[in-house]
Amino acid sequence: MIKTEKIVHLKSSRGRKVRVVREHYLRQHVPCYSSLCQARCNNDGQVLSGDVTHYVFPDVGVVVDYQEVLEVAGLRGVVFTQTACHAVQHGKGRRQYNRLRGLLKDPRHDCVLFANEFQEYAYCSREKGESQDKWHNRCVYSAAVWYHDHLAGVKPVVMITEDVSAVAEYSSLHSGIYIVSMQEYLQNFWPELQAAQDLYCSISQTLQEKESEGTEREYTEHLPSEVLEAGIKSGRYIQGTLNVNKHRAQNEAFVRLEGSSNKNTDLNSDVLVSGGKSRNRAVHGDTVVVELLPRSEWSGRAMALSEGQGEDKPPESIQSQPMPTGRVVGILQRNWRDYVVTFPPKEETQSRNSRRILATPWDQRIPKIRISTQQADALQDHRVVVRMDSWESTSLYPNGHSVRVLGRAGELETEIQTILIENSIHILPFSEAQLREMPANSPENPWRADAAARRDLRESHLVFSIDPRGCEDVDDTLSVRSLPGGERLELGVHIADVTHFVPEGSLTDLEARTRATTYYLADRRYDMLPAVLSADLCSLLGGVDRYAMSVIWELDTRTLAVHKVWYGRTLIRSSYQLHYELAQALLNGEPAQVLELTRLEPDQRDAKLAQLTEALEMLTHVARHLRAQRDQGGALELEGVEVRAQLDEDKNITALVPREPLEVHETVAECMIYANHWVARKIQESFPQQALLRYHPPPRQEYFNQLVDSATARGFTINTRSNKDLAKSLDQAVDPKDPLVNRLLRVMATQAMSNALYVSTGSIPQDQYYHYGLALDRYTHFTSPIRRYADVVVHRLLTAAISLDQDSDPSKPLASNKELEVMAQHINKKNQAAQRTQKLSTELFQCLYFKDKDPLTDPCCVADAIMYSIRANGFLVFIPQYGLKGAVYVKNREGQVVSAGQDGTCEWQSGSVHRYPDHISTVCSAGTTTFSLFHHITVRISVQPSRCHSDSLHLEVLSNTPHQSPPEPADLPGPQHRGSTQLVQEVVRLAEEATQQAQEKAAQGNRLSREERAFRQTKGPNLYSLLEEVRELALMDMQACGTGGGGLLGLIGQAGCTTSA
Amino acid sequence: MAGLELLSDQGYRLDGRKAPELRKVQARMGVFAQADGSAYIEQGNTKALAVVYGPHEMRGSRSRTLHDRAVINCQYSMATFSTAERKRRPHGDRKSTEMSLHLKQTFEAAVMTQLYPRSQIDIYVKVLQADGGNYSVCVNAATLAVIDAGIPMRDYVCACTVGFVDETPLADLCFAEESGGGSSLALALLPRGGQIALLQMDARLHQDHLETLMEAAMTACKGVSKVLDEVVRQHLQEVSVLTGE
Repeated sequence: MIKTEKIVHLKSSRGRKVRVVREHYLRQHVPCYSSLCQARCNNDGQVLSGDVTHYVFPDVGVVVDYQEVLEVAGLRGVVFTQTACHAVQHGKGRRQYNRLRGLLKDPRHDCVLFANEFQEYAYCSREKGESQDKWHNRCVYSAAVWYHDHLAGVKPVVMITEDVSAVAEYSSLHSGIYIVSMQEYLQNFWPELQAAQDLYCSISQTLQEKESEGTEREYTEHLPSEVLEAGIKSGRYIQGTLNVNKHRAQNEAFVRLEGSSNKNTDLNSDVLVSGGKSRNRAVHGDTVVVELLPRSEWSGRAMALSEGQGEDKPPESIQSQPMPTGRVVGILQRNWRDYVVTFPPKEETQSRNSRRILATPWDQRIPKIRISTQQADALQDHRVVVRMDSWESTSLYPNGHSVRVLGRAGELETEIQTILIENSIHILPFSEAQLREMPANSPENPWRADAAARRDLRESHLVFSIDPRGCEDVDDTLSVRSLPGGERLELGVHIADVTHFVPEGSLTDLEARTRATTYYLADRRYDMLPAVLSADLCSLLGGVDRYAMSVIWELDTRTLAVHKVWYGRTLIRSSYQLHYELAQALLNGEPAQVLELTRLEPDQRDAKLAQLTEALEMLTHVARHLRAQRDQGGALELEGVEVRAQLDEDKNITALVPREPLEVHETVAECMIYANHWVARKIQESFPQQALLRYHPPPRQEYFNQLVDSATARGFTINTRSNKDLAKSLDQAVDPKDPLVNRLLRVMATQAMSNALYVSTGSIPQDQYYHYGLALDRYTHFTSPIRRYADVVVHRLLTAAISLDQDSDPSKPLASNKELEVMAQHINKKNQAAQRTQKLSTELFQCLYFKDKDPLTDPCCVADAIMYSIRANGFLVFIPQYGLKGAVYVKNREGQVVSAGQDGTCEWQSGSVHRYPDHISTVCSAGTTTFSLFHHITVRISVQPSRCHSDSLHLEVLSNTPHQSPPEPADLPGPQHRGSTQLVQEVVRLAEEATQQAQEKAAQGNRLSREERAFRQTKGPNLYSLLEEVRELALMDMQACGTGGGGLLGLIGQAGCTTSA
Repeated sequence: MAGLELLSDQGYRLDGRKAPELRKVQARMGVFAQADGSAYIEQGNTKALAVVYGPHEMRGSRSRTLHDRAVINCQYSMATFSTAERKRRPHGDRKSTEMSLHLKQTFEAAVMTQLYPRSQIDIYVKVLQADGGNYSVCVNAATLAVIDAGIPMRDYVCACTVGFVDETPLADLCFAEESGGGSSLALALLPRGGQIALLQMDARLHQDHLETLMEAAMTACKGVSKVLDEVVRQHLQEVSVLTGE
């Protein structure tokens, strides 16, 4: 190694210029990462393939400005120089640099980093007086020369630069090296990559425009980062994430504080940032620094439902109490992603400068983006993916460039793509390299059971699966049998062994990790694993041999207590592939056609059928017991409204069908929960620091306010102290005349809770592993490895835990806590995106369903709705027929209010609105009309078209009496249809619970009496506990007052979601 | 804000070294004729001068005299011009007092003090240019100076700092790496027996990582000892040529 010195001028902490001398070591052997290398470089890891026509060295300017173009998938053989990477790191910030790093690590892109500055012969030191750009060019050029010579001139090397003088200076120096500009390069070498060229054009145009910008200042400058850091540390400024209110995107935004960095303890709600000036160019999702305004300038949030979109109404008189208000003084981290925008039609474009167009993003929270393009005419009313580049203080809007055209707005394909991109989901078809990894299901590749590693259950166990009708990816199967002697029962859950086919680190694994889950949209799905695996090799289909990962319990026949658990790999053959309806029919003793048995002789068939039915019954028995056990612990029965769009062959919607619950659903779910729980126990015990669990934090009490208020209005009391109390009071809050009330209350309870999350055990304390909703101390996801990546991770952990038990070292070191935590965050993020996508696509289909119908004449558009929450100028309703939620206004923009006539028909008249806790009433000349909580009304559904955003449904009151519905369509489940099974189920469960309660009481009684004997303590409520309870209540009230803003925000946020439905 | 990337994905450090590589070490012994022993060392851009007087009779307060062994007196100082910004360093500030104490402890463990009862050995070390790893460079310089003075030691004392970045131990930190956050550990080792003369770490480190870090530090110290050994041998050769033996 040779030591040289490098002199750098840096700024010291006090702003003085300091001369720093740094060492710089050069070496002869720097790996070139090319598969053509003949000098035997130490090329481990990713290498450049040899089958490209040339290698390309982008120079510093190109990498900094056109990194996106180099990211285009088709571009291959790119060598990034270290010089360029450093320039990105220093010039563009961490985010851009991380993207570059990700690109270099991604095995799907053919590009490498060459550490030219540490290569003895490729390095050139900066000469005195040489400008930085010149020096950079020289570095990249000499790196290119070295690379060319190193590979003995086998491959021509192209250096691309945007610097004209560099082309002139270097182009004739060396025969094997070609120096071209970016544009020429793309045109000559990659003419087939139209996307890259378009991207290049749009970026270069943006860069040109940037130079010719005005100087008039629209916003105050952001403070330098040192000042911000110091301010945050001293508590003068507050750091947080900016959340823009979807319904008042122009005016209201909130900064959600980031936990520990905030020393200002008396500030425990969010900070309001109102108006564009004080938001100071921050965009939804950015990490910002805010300064609090003096208390006299604080304002409250608007409380009324806002009607329509995008209009700039002056703040209304109805405001909540003032909350902390601040202004943005700096931005720590931009979190810009790809946005979908719609180009305006021609007449709206500014005539003066038609090349720069203000496009409106699909997401209402994002400001308009200024885009320079020459294709404005062609792109009218098209949805286009854009990226934001910058937002100068002299500009009212941010600048961006277009990346890709999605299609005409309003078309189904465009809209679906829009939804995907808006949720940052990028799905490319599986590449050939990935598909090549797939094993083939051929006779040469038989399914083997190694005695050591895999147990053969094909002959011994009756294994069956229960799934929705038409399911292809069967990832869970069940088995149950009595063991000889009749004392014990054996329950088995067998899950597809995906990790057998997807080794860690393979291309398929990487792709699955990026996708993290299978995305289910209303009309399609995007699989996490290639179809070969998900629908064939891994799928536990009926009648064929498959590998599985099993959990097998030995239970006591009478008490159902666990005696033994066995975890391990197995080989199974599923005998029956049932679907839910069929299984339920078998259980109910109704005649049913089991596909697998149709070809057998009648007597044989009956015997088999009896065997299967017996197994199903045993399973149901066990599941009921398990459920009762969890209910004891306080498990919640939650309700989400699920609606499925029924499509015909041409993907037209024929009906919107709410899902029908059956007991079998619950039985299967219960077994899966049980398996997940036991696996969680196993991996947590084996790897206390690095197991992947799923936890559900208890919700904040103030989020329950809406639920409690609504329930009180109806005369129910809801106790939200613990999950058990909540479950109990929800069970009691049943209106015998209206089953919907209970369902709605459950929906509201669900909304009040936060989502369950994946977490690595090393990063939270053990007492927080608790799963609130399921009332289990440890929980994870194990049962759907075909659909969820978390399960794949858990499978690997379980395999490692098993081999640890057998005292053999796991083949590979496990992911550390830190890596696992990063992965957990990633999966959480993707899961949220998947959920949002699913919801948005359902909403899209709801809109499409109503779009073709004329709201005035079609009977489908008039429906019965039930009110569940009251706002200042309207209320929120739920429409059970379609599973829709939405806002209904009783006061419109002209100030008119709804009033009902004698027969309940409503019309608009001028008057006023009065809001009460449990009802809202309008007063006008014709009299007073009252709408009370949980009353049924009739609404008309119409579609409110929107050009730039998604269409939304508009609800209008027709009458304040229940809708006299025509006889229900046959495919909707009538209440009487469900009655019998539900009744049976309910009764059995109640009985189970009663016995368990009795047992527990007996146990408790014993224990208490022992205490009594030992310590002479009284059993009843004593004064101390009473006082304690009073104190807690007081504390809670204080909290509720103090954090009212935060609580409200959550509620209104959710209400916000529903209004857009 | 954008912290320096101390270890790149390709495994290079800021100055082009790989994780276990030391900086370039150059040293000379016997740079001053007046003192009993002296040495000059450059470890990368950290440069230090060490001078040894003694063993001689106790000077100053005689009450510190030990009857069974020699007293070792160390003094560490930094030149005003040793850092990028010139800074006056008053004699006996807290940092250099602490450093002096560390040096003293290190050499009490290494020098065979029991051979010189009731006497004193003075070790003066001055950092001429500071670029990280000051303590270890001083120890290495002082070792050479003590050898030059002909004072018997159990073994060379070799010291090295080791940092911990991205789960990888980095040997022989430079200033940028030292100040870039992360924990660093200084180890002074008697390499032949593998005995530790001094181990110092201020920052937090997970217990699981300590062992790997110690191992890396030991390897680094052994590397340093090889270089020092060579320097000593070469010096002896030169001296023996001069004296004509």
